[in-house]
Amino acid sequence: MAYVGIISLYLACAGTILSIILGFRALKDKKEPLGILTHWASALSTLCITLSALSLVLALLTNDFNIAYVARHSARNLPLIYKISAFWAGQSGSLLLWLLIISFLSLVVQKNRKYQQNHLHIRLCIVINFVRLLFILLLLFVTPIFELLAERPFDGSGLNPMLQSLGMVIHPPVLFLGFSGFLIPFAFAVIGLWTNDTQATWLRHVGKWVLFAWLFLTMGIVTGGQWAYTELGWGGYWAWDPVENSSFFPWLTSTALLHILLLPNKHRLKRVWSYVLIVLTYTLTIFATFLTRSGVLDSVHAFAGGVLGQIFLAVLVVMAVFCFGLGWHKRQMLSMVPTESTLSNQGLSATGKTIVVGSVLLLMLFAGVLFGTMFPVITRVFTAREVVLDASFFNQLSVPLFLGTIFLMGMSPLLHKKASDIKILTKRLALPVLLALVAAVFTYLSTGHLAASVAFALAAFGFGTHLPVLLSPDSSRRWGGSLVHLGLLIIMVGITGSSIFVDDVLVSVEPGQEIVFGDYRLEYEGLTVRYGSERYTVGTTLAIVENGRCRGEITSEKTFWEGRDQPSTRVGILSTLKEDIYLNLAGWENTTAQLHLQRFALVSWIWAGSWVMYFGVLVALLGDMKLNVKGKQVKLWPRQMR
Amino acid sequence: MSRKKLKILLLSLLPLLLLGFLAFRAFENSAAYYYTISEVQANGVSEQKLRVKGQLVPDSVIYDASIPLLGFSLTDGDAHIQASYRGVLPDNFNHSEEVIIEGTLNSQGELLVSKLMLQCPSKYEGEE
Repeated sequence: MAYVGIISLYLACAGTILSIILGFRALKDKKEPLGILTHWASALSTLCITLSALSLVLALLTNDFNIAYVARHSARNLPLIYKISAFWAGQSGSLLLWLLIISFLSLVVQKNRKYQQNHLHIRLCIVINFVRLLFILLLLFVTPIFELLAERPFDGSGLNPMLQSLGMVIHPPVLFLGFSGFLIPFAFAVIGLWTNDTQATWLRHVGKWVLFAWLFLTMGIVTGGQWAYTELGWGGYWAWDPVENSSFFPWLTSTALLHILLLPNKHRLKRVWSYVLIVLTYTLTIFATFLTRSGVLDSVHAFAGGVLGQIFLAVLVVMAVFCFGLGWHKRQMLSMVPTESTLSNQGLSATGKTIVVGSVLLLMLFAGVLFGTMFPVITRVFTAREVVLDASFFNQLSVPLFLGTIFLMGMSPLLHKKASDIKILTKRLALPVLLALVAAVFTYLSTGHLAASVAFALAAFGFGTHLPVLLSPDSSRRWGGSLVHLGLLIIMVGITGSSIFVDDVLVSVEPGQEIVFGDYRLEYEGLTVRYGSERYTVGTTLAIVENGRCRGEITSEKTFWEGRDQPSTRVGILSTLKEDIYLNLAGWENTTAQLHLQRFALVSWIWAGSWVMYFGVLVALLGDMKLNVKGKQVKLWPRQMR
Repeated sequence: MSRKKLKILLLSLLPLLLLGFLAFRAFENSAAYYYTISEVQANGVSEQKLRVKGQLVPDSVIYDASIPLLGFSLTDGDAHIQASYRGVLPDNFNHSEEVIIEGTLNSQGELLVSKLMLQCPSKYEGEE
């Protein structure tokens, strides 16, 4: 298997180089057959990469422990699904997965007929293949993935028990899909400048790709949080850890980008800022990779340091210098206003201005979080003592900015058309203001917490302004975006609730004893022991009673593995719309158990809200397709504002 | 400089100033200073929050699950530091070679840990 993998990687390398050379020749000689050959070479490379990935999957499935990677990350008794997810458990495997995703995206781009004019598809091919070449070279020479062991071990060392969870199956591929999705808008933007595209046709192509990548980036971040919440046992989903922040940077910049793309094409700001944000977003995905692999910052998630981090840093610097240099070189073209229009900054509508201010807020968030994350490096270089900033810094910095952004988001539907008419505006304002007041008063009276009242009032206000948009068929073009906004508001309610309304107790209980926790009574019956192959599990199940009625059961257990000094804990979560009860079996002595009980309000709103967001993006993406198929004028995703 | 340019300049300064203000306000109480274990033992730092990185000393780990209280000591090769953490023993604690702790020193020179950082499982590559 290893040889098939290596040989196909070498072939992929050859195909990629060939495709780049042929592509340049095709552009120079303007010969059609050369262009077709470019595509064939690129497709061949995709085929070889797929083969290489398949051979790794097969090696994992057939326990081919000759391959060092398989021996290190898999084992005979590993369940099938984790054998497959062992593919991306290590450094080189995740690079191969990333390469595979880029390759499939390149196929999609090649197939698209819209890109065939003006040699655009050949240029796209060249840019994508440059990136692919980098990954292939890394996999061949820096972290060789099909490295063989001198002696074949009987069994592999297996996947770390903490990685054997659904999160490991879903989170990494989704996040990589998000990261690599931004390559396509990046390629369009760079090509647009390279070819002196004065009409900025590239702006027309990028919107959908940005939305696509943004969807998966969002999904990647949410699934990562959910994984941490259910697996790590401390009950949090976000800790402002450098690696977490590094996936948040491109999210912030691409969210700003999505909104800037809605500005009218004739607006001068649009071209410059779209270019800057596209390049920034893609550079930040590389930066995220660098941070995770370099060991520059202490993180609980990072891979061990190594030469790979330095390579990514070099790529990052070269790319940033090249792209921003190109942007500077072509600045006149970028800031050119199309001839037919005489509009300048004054011509921006109220919605347009809101978009600009909102984007500035998002970029401020980005700058602030970046500053806080890099603060240890800054102080290490410029002062004698390295200083690290903890979560409270990030919370204090970001909460006011987030609230401001959410407020603007809530305002945005109000400003849509005829906003200057006071009568219409008051009519539009009535429902949201009423909802906001109800939410604020209700929260303040029942909890007395001012910050929570403000946050919930803002969320209710947003619900109130977005609801009419979703109910009216006239505004179908804005359905997708409004659903995403609505989802974000639901997430905000969840984040506010789960970070403010928290209970936490540690109790030592004997069998038969009852625990009173908030409104609940939990009954501890004792510990149970289960034996499996090469492991045993100690667990406990508590019945949760509220007002004499049983609300459900909650189980937490610890599994000890033969030959590993590290147990793995499964926390028990009873999730309702109102709150989550979170149980962690911390330890025991004979039959006395130490239980860590936590309560987080409204956590499930975060996961629910994320689904509303995904649905909104799908509506926006598919809504546009309807237009292409039937030629109807019903669009769900506005390309640009009127 | 034309009036328009001045206006743009002032407008772009506004977010920067606001951000600077927010960052400055947030800085208080959230900074932890990096010290090596030898430095802590030599000068006896006090009051401020510190962050220390070290190897877990084998056999130094005591855990009383009923409080729960975790005691351990870290070394950087030359000096040792005693640390105590009020919290549940993390699964991968004994497995970790390198531990990063954040907290304040008490009068006995013991570090009262407020934040315990261990290697996440995804970091275990390269541990060979």
